[in-house]
Amino acid sequence: MRSPSYLPCTLLGRRRLEGVEPAALGPEGLWLCRGTPALEMSNAREKKHAKKMRNQPTNVTLSSGFGAVDERGVKHHNGNEKSFQYQKQESHSGAPQHQQPKSTHVPSEPCMNEQPCKSQCRGEKGKGQAGWRGGHQGAAREIPKYITASTFAQARAAEVNAMLKAVTQKSSNSLVFQTLPRHMRRRAMSHNVKRLPRRLREIAQKEAEKTEHQKKEHSKNKCRKARRCHLNLLLEFNRRQKKNVWLETHIWHAKRFHMVKKWGYCLGESPTVKSYRASYRAMTKHCLLQDLSYYCCLELNGKEEEILKALARMCSIDTGLTFAAVHCLSGKRQGSLVLYRADKYPEEMLGPITFIWKPEGGTSTTPVNRKLWLWTHPTLKQDILTELKLVCQCVQPPEAAASIPEVVLTPHEEKSHIKQTENCKKRKRESDGEKNTNPVKKIVGDGTRNPFQPYSWTSSTTGIVVSDFTMEMNRYRLIGPLSHSILTEALKTASVYTEVEDAETVPHSWWVEACKNPDSVSVHHRQEAFFELLGGIASPAEFPAGTVLGLTVGDPRVNLPQKKAKALPSLEKCQDNEKVRQLRLEGVPVECAHSFIWNQDICKSVTENKISEKELNQMRSELMVPGSQLNLGHRESKIPILLIQQPGKVTGEDRLGWGSGWDVLLPKGWGMAFWIPFIYRGARVGGLKEALIHSRYKGAPSIPDDFPDCPAGILFAREQENNLLEKYKRHPPAKRPNYVKHGTLSPFRCPWGQLTRDWESRITTRAESLVSPSCSWANVKSDPGREDLCVVEDEQESKLSCEAETLKDKPGEPEEMMDTDSPGAAVAGDTTGEGVCGNDSGGTKGTFCVLRSRKLLKLLAAWCHPVARRNRVAIQASRMYQQQELTRATCLPILRDYPRSLVWVSLSLLKKGNPELHTMICIPSKDDILLLNEDRLYGGPQESRHSDPFKAKARKQKEKKTEKEQKQGGQHCAIVCAEGTPGLWPGSLPDITGHCSRTLLGFVTQGDFSLAAGCGEALGFVSLTGLLEMLLSQPADKRGLVLLRTPASLQYRFARIIIDI
Amino acid sequence: GFPVPVLAHSPSRPRLPSLTRFCARPRRRYLLCELVSEDPRCRACLEERVLFGLVRDAIARVHGAFGAAACAVAFTVKYLNAYTGVVLLRCRKEFYQLLWSALPFITYLENKGQRYACFFNTLHVGGTIRTCQKFLIQYNRRQLLILLHNCPDGEERESIKKSVMSCSLEEPQEDQLSGGGSEEDATEME
Repeated sequence: MRSPSYLPCTLLGRRRLEGVEPAALGPEGLWLCRGTPALEMSNAREKKHAKKMRNQPTNVTLSSGFGAVDERGVKHHNGNEKSFQYQKQESHSGAPQHQQPKSTHVPSEPCMNEQPCKSQCRGEKGKGQAGWRGGHQGAAREIPKYITASTFAQARAAEVNAMLKAVTQKSSNSLVFQTLPRHMRRRAMSHNVKRLPRRLREIAQKEAEKTEHQKKEHSKNKCRKARRCHLNLLLEFNRRQKKNVWLETHIWHAKRFHMVKKWGYCLGESPTVKSYRASYRAMTKHCLLQDLSYYCCLELNGKEEEILKALARMCSIDTGLTFAAVHCLSGKRQGSLVLYRADKYPEEMLGPITFIWKPEGGTSTTPVNRKLWLWTHPTLKQDILTELKLVCQCVQPPEAAASIPEVVLTPHEEKSHIKQTENCKKRKRESDGEKNTNPVKKIVGDGTRNPFQPYSWTSSTTGIVVSDFTMEMNRYRLIGPLSHSILTEALKTASVYTEVEDAETVPHSWWVEACKNPDSVSVHHRQEAFFELLGGIASPAEFPAGTVLGLTVGDPRVNLPQKKAKALPSLEKCQDNEKVRQLRLEGVPVECAHSFIWNQDICKSVTENKISEKELNQMRSELMVPGSQLNLGHRESKIPILLIQQPGKVTGEDRLGWGSGWDVLLPKGWGMAFWIPFIYRGARVGGLKEALIHSRYKGAPSIPDDFPDCPAGILFAREQENNLLEKYKRHPPAKRPNYVKHGTLSPFRCPWGQLTRDWESRITTRAESLVSPSCSWANVKSDPGREDLCVVEDEQESKLSCEAETLKDKPGEPEEMMDTDSPGAAVAGDTTGEGVCGNDSGGTKGTFCVLRSRKLLKLLAAWCHPVARRNRVAIQASRMYQQQELTRATCLPILRDYPRSLVWVSLSLLKKGNPELHTMICIPSKDDILLLNEDRLYGGPQESRHSDPFKAKARKQKEKKTEKEQKQGGQHCAIVCAEGTPGLWPGSLPDITGHCSRTLLGFVTQGDFSLAAGCGEALGFVSLTGLLEMLLSQPADKRGLVLLRTPASLQYRFARIIIDI
Repeated sequence: GFPVPVLAHSPSRPRLPSLTRFCARPRRRYLLCELVSEDPRCRACLEERVLFGLVRDAIARVHGAFGAAACAVAFTVKYLNAYTGVVLLRCRKEFYQLLWSALPFITYLENKGQRYACFFNTLHVGGTIRTCQKFLIQYNRRQLLILLHNCPDGEERESIKKSVMSCSLEEPQEDQLSGGGSEEDATEME
């Protein structure tokens, strides 16, 4: 043994050690991964931790081949097993149970053995700390006290390297500048590399490049000033309205509303300010203004008889008044109805519309062409238009483009737009040069219109011209009692030219022409008089529904007040004289309904001759007395408008006339000119959401949400389901309701088709099952209503009676059917049961429809009232209509005719409860009603919690998969989760009516706490079959009681069904 | 229960940490020590678990139950290298002196029934792992230089030179160098 004297004395002992141990570790085996407590950490955390620790040195031990040590080692090295094994094999010496005897016993081997090992380790990590291998294992074994300084040095060197790596390299998850101590940090360090110390710049540069890709691409080259310059702004606006139509008030709305892209338009959803209550108050007490210009107008032009004949196929007298109603046909009133596909009533509904006939030219006796405007919702327009074309047999567009001015206008305009935008993008100078030649025009009307597509279709056989007037007019709606005062203050009727001038010289030639005609002047004066009277009437609800008043008004911008102030009804105008009474009773006479807005040429000229805002302001600034009234004289525009009264709540008993108001129709281009004056008179503006609230409080179905049987309604329901589902999926399963456990089969949509089908099959299966002679009349005598039934049965045919009997037993009480029987009825049952089935299968095509027959609805409405109330109100009605009592027998024909129908109902909650979208309407059981009788404060029963079999299944699947693919990593969990959303019913739904403890009757489509009623109110549909079943089974004084349950709750709440007509 | 002989010369009891300290980052002390032993097999026994138990027992022996508990809070073995015998221990800042003073009382290493005489040499006491690592780099470099300086032998001197070079140069070159060094070593030994 050598004892070298040159070593530092502190190392003496160690040096000997180094010699003995040959340090035959693998290069990677030396710095073992530090074992992280992998079992405790989640995957992501583990990864993060590993990333943080990747540069830190790890423990180095001599794994000496002892079993315990090995095991420990293995436990720590999940990821690095290979290198560890390698290390184990190669690790030296002292171990008696060494696994590679060759390397230890044969002195010549190591050299050969070493090479592959080395290459292996290089291949593994390539970090090449191979210096550890002293390469004298054989010697180590035999001469344990042999020492080399080199191994000692190598051990030190390796350690130094490891430490260096740990010290110098950034290992945390932070950015470079974050590793600096606080006193060395500088402002804007994160994006200016030069603010960092020089040694860190390189790393920071790399980091910055990495994040640069994620950054949004910078906007165009123009600076803000250039972008905001008027021309460029206009170009940009024009470009942006190419895809979605902008209303004329778009910019105004965009500054104050949450905008949504809907139905091809950009519309204001709701104001950005808090306004739920304020807008309700405005509707009830003040005035709410809405821009409904997105409603589409379709014009039919032709002979009256032809039009009526064609349209009669699309509507039915059953649903109420049609196009031929006397008041409407004269042009005095606006009408509303529901259109169906030709000859398909009561199926294949197209959608609700409102319509106005143009009043006939007063004096002419010969039947001239008449005009009819249909106003539809944009979602319904396409269907209605195609059907109209079909009905009127229109095929080819007329070559005369004059009927639609824009067809001529647009191509030229659009081309210039396109050119302009292109040029502007390239070079500003070029566009400047071209600007002088053809100036950019603001898009007025529909910006998305394809100029080469026809917008008017004519029929050779019937002579009817159908034209699409979308965006050709503005339609503003004023809701609330103050709309009168706003209208009368904001609008001033046009002055009549007294002196005769040359029509060519003045800009408003049409008005000069009109003034020459004494008839039209007198009409204008009468209109003026009626308009003045408006201010004295307290509420628009006092007028007959749909009154139409034509007007010609002056420029409303001229008498704009200095400050915004609320218009109040003036007291002196409120005189109750004969005229006002007449107006209230009969509305406006037909002559006054005339307006020049029907004339397209006049509208066009009015739009073109509008004085621009800039000119107006210029003139204002040139006034002698600043702030005084501007007098434009003959230059002032005359605008033809049409006022249409909108009836508010027309159904039900309370709050009649709530939410009534006026619609104002304006020619296009004049939108903002009227909008601002209205607002300056204190109108509050609402968006789509406010419109929905309005229709809910009115108890009217909103378009297209509440028309589940029209194509637009189906589309809407699908979109809504997707949105809700997406929103639902965004929550983790623990933070969202498990609808399977709540027993809610379809929380995001209303399966109307299945509901009606289930009810139908419920009835038919019961009819079949009751064929057996054991069916009963046990409880007939106990129920007074049923005694009537018995009497009826005796008189009627056995067939009917049997049907009635088969239908008698309601689902909730199956025990009652097994008792004594009346044999006669049962015998006949066989045939009739089949008969019912046959009828059903033949009658429908498997789709559902909404019941809109007024007669039937009236009957149902009366039946829904509990007897106590019916005495007061409905008995008179029943006398009037010779109404039948609610019995099995009377229900049967209804069920036969409408086997799969829905009924629009409104529900008001008795006590607590706040109905939501898709709340379930259920039939209360007998016990529920008993409990309610006993305890007036009884809140309602509870649904017992359902089990979720899918959850356990999913878990099992997940476990299996994870077991299988544990080695491949944790990505599979995510895949499993994506397959079926936990908490929702997967696949097709089972029988939805009987899924819960209370039988399902229908769904709520709109529901909320009603500020008007002070309790929860809802609107929805119920199955007609189910409704009749329920009414029949309920005691007379408790008729119409239902239970409501929101999708995410187990609590049922009592509510009363009301069918409003 | 084990007998706890409390030594008379134990360091003055440190102040208990104020509560406000816990709201901030917990303060630690890191002791960088090296294990010195005559017996080469001693190194084989050097493991984290063994070392942990050893130090804990030593503290309990020297400072009693209080000391053991005070040191046990944040005490871990952060790093350990059996080849060089370097050990990094972590302790709470308030009580590191207890640990420090107990280290000289470790006189042997026991593992799997084998017992080897050894002692601990404290090289550095630092506030962060990083400072200890930096110190270790300096220390090892110094050691290597001393070794190089004192080595007269040609062959050995060469290899030491290689390893010194390997740990002072840049990363990529260093890889090559160390690889080459080991190869040369192997051939040299034959």
